[in-house]
Amino acid sequence: MSSQNRNSELLVSRPEPRTPNAESRAPAFAPKMQVNIAGVEFQNPVLTASGTFGYGQEFAQLIDLNRLGGICVKGISADPMPGNPPPRIYETESGMLNAIGLQNVGAKRFLEEKLPFLRTLRARCVVNVFGYSTEDYVRCLDILNAGEGIDAYELNISCPNTRCGGMVYGSDPKLTEEVVAASKRVARFPLFVKLSPNVTDIAVFARAAEAAGADALTLVNTFVGMCIDVETRAPRISNVTAGLSGPAIKPLALRLVHQAARAVRIPIIGIGGIASAEDAIEFLIVGAQAVQVGTANFYAPDTALRVADGIAAYCRRKEIDLHQLVGSLKLPQDSTAS
Amino acid sequence: MYDEIAMVAGNRALTGGHFILSVRSSRQAQAARPGQFAMIRLLGHSDVLLRRPMSIYDVKPDPSETGGSVQPAASTAGLGPLALLEFLYKAVGRGTELMATLREGDEVGLLGPLGHGFFAEDYLAEAHQSDEVLHVAGGIGIAALLLPARELAQAGVRQRLFFGGRARADLVGVDEFAPYVTETALATEDGSSGHRGYVTAAFEEYLSGRAGKRLLILACGPWAMLEATVKLAERYGQRCLVSMENRMGCALGVCLGCCIRVHGEGHGAYERVCTEGPVFWADHVVWGADSLPKT
Repeated sequence: MSSQNRNSELLVSRPEPRTPNAESRAPAFAPKMQVNIAGVEFQNPVLTASGTFGYGQEFAQLIDLNRLGGICVKGISADPMPGNPPPRIYETESGMLNAIGLQNVGAKRFLEEKLPFLRTLRARCVVNVFGYSTEDYVRCLDILNAGEGIDAYELNISCPNTRCGGMVYGSDPKLTEEVVAASKRVARFPLFVKLSPNVTDIAVFARAAEAAGADALTLVNTFVGMCIDVETRAPRISNVTAGLSGPAIKPLALRLVHQAARAVRIPIIGIGGIASAEDAIEFLIVGAQAVQVGTANFYAPDTALRVADGIAAYCRRKEIDLHQLVGSLKLPQDSTAS
Repeated sequence: MYDEIAMVAGNRALTGGHFILSVRSSRQAQAARPGQFAMIRLLGHSDVLLRRPMSIYDVKPDPSETGGSVQPAASTAGLGPLALLEFLYKAVGRGTELMATLREGDEVGLLGPLGHGFFAEDYLAEAHQSDEVLHVAGGIGIAALLLPARELAQAGVRQRLFFGGRARADLVGVDEFAPYVTETALATEDGSSGHRGYVTAAFEEYLSGRAGKRLLILACGPWAMLEATVKLAERYGQRCLVSMENRMGCALGVCLGCCIRVHGEGHGAYERVCTEGPVFWADHVVWGADSLPKT
């Protein structure tokens, strides 16, 4: 059964422009929605984001998983991880804070228990990988390399919620280069690198990852934030700081994707607060070749499908293929935006 | 589990800022089992993103289809199929305050039924072997216990309710519970109804006088009340099931936001209230300040 959503965005419901004698003319323009990222062919540019979609199967009852472009699974580490003590999440205005602590079943159990289902799907399987040291990342990839049905890796060097986790790598360009280069050497599948927004100059990190061999970039991960209970004067989240996601961060994420897209030649997958096709199209226009839907999966599981349908409807209306939309930003002529 | 847009059939104000929200969904009402919950999404409020977890308080036939007033389902067999879900809640934050403004004919997102409730196969045998089932409810925690009480009553199990709140106005739903229990003990912190003090005092007094009896305890309420109840159950050697609350992101088992500390090692140290719960055997949960979900 598919869930209905009465909050569907304008782009879906906007009527198609009518041309005279439309019925008697050639069939309506059918835009090409496929996108190839580092050799991986996605049937549409909409993926579900790591940590918001489990291992896919959890949503099988709610949506048609075969219509997704891809699924980025919950971050996997070489060894299973217990995660952080509660409380782990807190809702904020148009967003939420989370500090889950990367609880996961570990690479071995992922291959045995989760991957067999994922490889039956038409949606591409992107495995998010994290570690505490370069050796951890390499060890995790070594285990995962045996998996059949993995289409790409997404190296998480940007989780803000583990004691000395991926974030250390994502906030020092030298370490970014080190872990990406080491991972690229062992990775059997294309390597996407997920960057942190919590840096002073995103271009520096995008270029560092590209130089070290990243095949594509995913940006951005969550913004570090916090929230206090004024009655108890204690943080709302046990980890004290936590990652902010949801529509609240969309303009911030969009700016970073815009800047990164101008800094590198490798493809970019845009993510940050996408809840509608219009949101996604903004990311495509600034240069993302694909997008990920994250927090919206929690409250409206059909979001990624609505976004994919909405992008197609937009392309049909504009009579363009997806690739013509990517990077089509029209800046003012005298703009100094970079 | 169904995810749908459902019509509000009513939103009745009770005392103390409590409400009963009634929502139409035949398939969810018919699928619901005691102790399960649903997620309610407020539509058209983009600042309130997440759905809110709510115990399924009651399921009923739709009076607009049966032509009469709504009675508890146990006494209305034959009055039409179950078509309404009721949620007992207190307006305490932005989400529930907005929920309190819902009116008949409004729409909400409704995802349910969810979670591992007081499933009969897990505890009905235990209940039958017990001399009595004791319900311990704190405030809005009563909402998780009405359906199990009805199921146990239908199974012929003797039951008793211990119900506490800050004041008389917090003790909502006592009349609905009454048909299923032989006796109800009330407690309020301000003494406006029943014993003055915590409900656990009345509960302990009863437990201490039942040495040698085999009891099964079902509890739902604030963390501190649950912890005290569990300690007493342990001290008196009685088994206890708790219905846990926590903030939830998705209720689909993927965000891992609602996890609580349980007795387990490594990856097994935390379990999801939405999926492995909300009902747990009390001795499986790790109690104490370090594992306190500050909700």
